[in-house]
Amino acid sequence: MQGFLQLIKKEVYRFMSIWGQTVLGPLSSALLYQFIFGKQLASISTDMPGVTYAEFLIPGLVMMQVLLNAFSNSSSSIIQSKYTGSIIYVLMAPITPFSIYSAYLIAAIIRGLIVGIAVFLGIMWFGANVPKCWIAILYFLIFGASITAGLGLIVGILCDKFDQLGGFQSFVMVPLIYLSGVFFNPHNFSGMWQLATRLNPFMYIVDGFRYGFIQHSSYNVEFGAIFVFIFALLINGVGYLLMKKGIKIKH
Amino acid sequence: MYALEINHVVKRYGSFTALNDINFKIEAGEFVGLLGVNGAGKTSLISSIAGINNFEGEIKVAGYNVISEVVKSKQSLGVVPQELAFDPFLTVYQALKFQSGLYGVKNNKEWLFEVIERMHLTDKINSNTRTLSGGMKRRLMVAQALVHKPPVIILDEPTTGVDVEIRQSLWGFIAQLHKSGHTILLTTHYLEEVEKLCNKIIMIDKGKIISQSTKENLIAECSTLPTTLEIETQDAKFIDSLEHLILKKDGSSFTLKLENNEQLLDILNQFRDAGIILENINIKKPSLEDIFIHFIHR
Repeated sequence: MQGFLQLIKKEVYRFMSIWGQTVLGPLSSALLYQFIFGKQLASISTDMPGVTYAEFLIPGLVMMQVLLNAFSNSSSSIIQSKYTGSIIYVLMAPITPFSIYSAYLIAAIIRGLIVGIAVFLGIMWFGANVPKCWIAILYFLIFGASITAGLGLIVGILCDKFDQLGGFQSFVMVPLIYLSGVFFNPHNFSGMWQLATRLNPFMYIVDGFRYGFIQHSSYNVEFGAIFVFIFALLINGVGYLLMKKGIKIKH
Repeated sequence: MYALEINHVVKRYGSFTALNDINFKIEAGEFVGLLGVNGAGKTSLISSIAGINNFEGEIKVAGYNVISEVVKSKQSLGVVPQELAFDPFLTVYQALKFQSGLYGVKNNKEWLFEVIERMHLTDKINSNTRTLSGGMKRRLMVAQALVHKPPVIILDEPTTGVDVEIRQSLWGFIAQLHKSGHTILLTTHYLEEVEKLCNKIIMIDKGKIISQSTKENLIAECSTLPTTLEIETQDAKFIDSLEHLILKKDGSSFTLKLENNEQLLDILNQFRDAGIILENINIKKPSLEDIFIHFIHR
C-alpha cells in the first residue's frame, strides 16, 4: 500500500514540479479560447432557453482541459520513464501491476482535477454559472478524467516514441474533443456527424459536466452517465491488462 | 531455504532462445559470480529474476516465487540493472527517498546518507540526476538497489564506467555487505574482482550453464591448464628448440607453456647461452580469465 501511495505522490510531484507547463499552460489556452470564441461567437444560439454562450462555453472549456491533461499526464509519464529507463524501478518494486496501474491513473485524474479547478477559477469571470449539481460535476469530472487517463496509459504503454504519442493526440484526442460539443450544441449536427457525435464518449462527459452548471443538457444525463461509466471500465480494463502482461514494458 | 532458486528457466525472444533450461541454487550468504560473454544470457536471467522479463519456469527469491508472490519476492531483492536508468525529475536524495517509499521503508535517513557517502555522491546529494556523469548515475543505481537493505543483491556490471579509485571503494562496500550477511550475485567484466570476492562461480554461454562450482573446485578442475612463462625481449631471434612451447606471440612478448621448475631453469639457461637479453619475465598461474576462456572454448 505504501509503494502505491508513494508512486501517486511521486507522479503528483512530477507534474507539480513543472506547474508552469502543466497547470498555467492549460489555463492560458482556455483563456485564449474564451477570448476568441467567447467574444466572437457570443451571439450564437445555444438552443437552450436562458443559457448564454459564455455559460455554455465555460464548462466545456474546463472539461476540455481536464480531459487533455489527464491524457497528457499518464501518457507522457509512461513514455518518459520508458525513454529514461526509470520505469524499471517501478517494475522491480514490490507493487502489484494493479497498484502500479491505479497509481498512474489516480495521479492523472488528480492533474485533471487541479487543471480543471485552475481553469475554472481563471475563466469563470467571463460569465460562468455557479455550480448547481455537484454530483454531476464530480461524477463526470472523475469518470471523464479516468477515461482519458486510461487512454493515456494505453498509448504510453504501446508507443515507443514521442511522435507516436503526438500522432494519437492530433488524430484521435483533439478531433474527439472538438466534436464533443465544447463550442456548440451537438444537436446542431445532422446525418453522419450527428451519429458520430452520439457515439463519442467525450460528448456525454462534456454534456453531463455542463449540466452540473446550467441544468440543461443536449442528451439524457442518466444515459450519458451509464455510457461514460461503461466506457471508463472498458478502457481501464484494457489498460490494466496491458500493464499486467507487461506489453511493450517487459521484455 | 535458498536465497535464490532458478528452476528450468527458459526465455525466448521470438525464435531466439536466450535462456535454455537454466537451473541453479544459491545459498544464503554466498557471493556468486555469474560469468559469460556478451549475449550469453546473463542480463536476460537477471531481468527475469527482477520481474522485468516474462519467462517460462520458476524463480524463487528468499523462498518466494517471483510470479505468485511478487510483493514478498521483490521486497527481498535489490537489483542494479545494466542499462543506465534515472528519473530526470528527481535529485539524488529524492530518487533514494522515492525508492525507499516504493519499498515501504520509512525513517531511513541515516542509512541513505551512509549509502550516499559510500557511493561518493555526498557533494551531488541535491543535484538533479540528469546532471550526473555516467559513472555517478551508475553509483546512484547501486545506492537505489540498497535503500531497503535487501537480503539478496544482484549487481549487473555495477562498475562499468566507474573510476578505478571509486571502483575499489565500491567493491570494499559490497564486500562489507556480504560480510554482514547479504547474498550477492554479481556479473562484471573485471574478472580479477570476481576472483577476489566470489566464493562460487557460475558460467553461462549461449543461454546454458556450462559450469557452476565453488572457486576452489573450479581452479582444481582446471589444474590441467598450464602455468605460463611470459617473457619480453627485443632480440629478433628466438631459440628453435623452444618454439614448440610458445602458446602466444605478441610483438616482442612471448607466452611459453611451463610444466615444472626444472623446465624453467632449462629455458632460462638456453636464453643465456644464446645471448638473448630478457627484459621482462613473469610466471603466471592460470587465472580465472584463463579458466573462463577454457570453458567457453571447450
